[in-house]
Amino acid sequence: MSDVIALSARKAAPSRIRIGLLRLTDGAPLIVAHEFGFFADEGLEVELIVEPSWANIADKLAYGFFDAAVIVPPLAFAVQLGLRGTAQPLLIPYTISTGGNTVTIARRLAEEVKDLAARRNLSTVEALAACLRGRGMTLGVVHAYSTHNLLLRYWLATAGIEAGRDVKLAVVPPARAVEALGSGQIAGFCAGAPWGEVAQRAGTGITIATSRDIWQNAPEKALAVRGRWAEGRSELLACALRALLRAAKFCDDPKNASYTAAVLSRRKYLDVDSHAILASLPGGTIADGGCVFFRGAATFPWRSQGLWFLNEMRRWDLIDERVDLRDLTERVYRPDLYRAALTPLGESVPAVDWKAEGAHDMAWTVEAAPAPILLPADRFCDGTVFNPDMVRSPAKAVLETLHKL
Amino acid sequence: MPLKVLLIDTDADRARALDDKLSESGFAEIQRASGGPGLAEAVESIKPDLIIIDMALPDRDALEDIRAVSAAHPIVMFAGCDDPAFAEEAIAAGVCSYNLSGVALEDVKPIMASAIALFRRYRRVEEELAAAKALLEERRLIERAKAILMQGRKMTEPEAYRWLQKKAMNENRKLAQVVAEFIEQHDPGIASAHAERK
Repeated sequence: MSDVIALSARKAAPSRIRIGLLRLTDGAPLIVAHEFGFFADEGLEVELIVEPSWANIADKLAYGFFDAAVIVPPLAFAVQLGLRGTAQPLLIPYTISTGGNTVTIARRLAEEVKDLAARRNLSTVEALAACLRGRGMTLGVVHAYSTHNLLLRYWLATAGIEAGRDVKLAVVPPARAVEALGSGQIAGFCAGAPWGEVAQRAGTGITIATSRDIWQNAPEKALAVRGRWAEGRSELLACALRALLRAAKFCDDPKNASYTAAVLSRRKYLDVDSHAILASLPGGTIADGGCVFFRGAATFPWRSQGLWFLNEMRRWDLIDERVDLRDLTERVYRPDLYRAALTPLGESVPAVDWKAEGAHDMAWTVEAAPAPILLPADRFCDGTVFNPDMVRSPAKAVLETLHKL
Repeated sequence: MPLKVLLIDTDADRARALDDKLSESGFAEIQRASGGPGLAEAVESIKPDLIIIDMALPDRDALEDIRAVSAAHPIVMFAGCDDPAFAEEAIAAGVCSYNLSGVALEDVKPIMASAIALFRRYRRVEEELAAAKALLEERRLIERAKAILMQGRKMTEPEAYRWLQKKAMNENRKLAQVVAEFIEQHDPGIASAHAERK
């Protein structure tokens, strides 16, 4: 009977969605929703397309080859503004994961860093800074408009290292980074799981930090949807988000980790040893440094987090001074679509769109309906608190700084 | 003066075919590079007017970050081009280009048209090959499922085949799906090997 209903639902609406993603562990909820029929249960016919580059993801979204994609939020903003290639309005109604990135450096350099940190009682990043200074080394990031580039720059800056001046940052695709580390072409890289673990297993690299060491509850991948596709398809989008949430719960349960890793390791997805994938799944061996898919409202598209990315993009001259960052955040980050899709399920959904980022040393409770949600600690490594109101417009930020003087 | 084109393609046959075709025309001079480390050096020493790259390679992100590429012009294919259909055709064929020295679009178009045609032809061959392989695999699995039924349930071969067909018909699914699931339940080793190959 249920088959019949599903079939007729499929006939009633053109329910195909084409979603692009890369070979990364945090694509897990999409792959699980597809393989275990969660999309099908919602009457959706989803086609997952695994791409080798972020450039392909951006272009295929821009030209309508994809309806949606798993994306790093800074790249979604870049596509929205046409900073690389054709501009195309995108929406982020859902966050796919938090955490999961690693800073992985060459074995010998890692030993040097560790030794120095112990001898002079320095933090990891201070010791790394001391080792990098004046040596003209290169670190790899996966894309200019990536969370990795922004997180690594932020971390290094807390120890006085400026990319471009003290260390060179180069774009190296993660699948090539492992090899580049081995050949000495780069001294280290910041990339998403499983590539840090793959480098460790290959014996070429050591992971010295994860996303959490930079920003404790760092948002990572998001679902970006073409604005034009979403028009008039709100129910279809809601169905997709419901299937994703169900998959997120599955992926977040440590019991399912080895099973999820096995599915992800298939040749058509990550094509990587399942043990390397398992390490950064919830319940994996990197206990606290891995990906989070559900708990602590990880799936909610916090506007304050979108604005943090934009503010960092501005800090590093990746975005024009004149762009109204707050307005851009509100156009792209769409918690209203999240609520519309998931409230009917009885899920607890945050009641606010903005929060101070980095203000919590310990788990705290956020106002949500029907029940409050416990959120994890969200400190930045340097203790800075990011208050979204400070970024209303460049002029206002200047005024507020003046008031404080 | 012929345009300097840097071609980044790991399919040697296809690269050679495009090289031949463009050299023949006389308005393009082709240099070839593989992806991976050394790409930045290649771009900086060759100083191409146009880069053509296979979209199946992971190197586009690194390529777009090379100063010579990103500083010269808006970095993506056909930027400012008023012909989105042409860009779409290229993406569908799996090839894209970067215009580094502001070559006029009418000069780029015939070069890209050749690339698109070749990529399309190679893709069709690949798809045909994949389809043939899938068909062989399906037959192999049907044989295995029949063997399981003949052994376990003492059916004759035609009975086993009819049993599978009927199951597919009753469940309104493709025979291949039913067979794959049947084997997964009765002989998981083979089914997972099958999934791996997909």
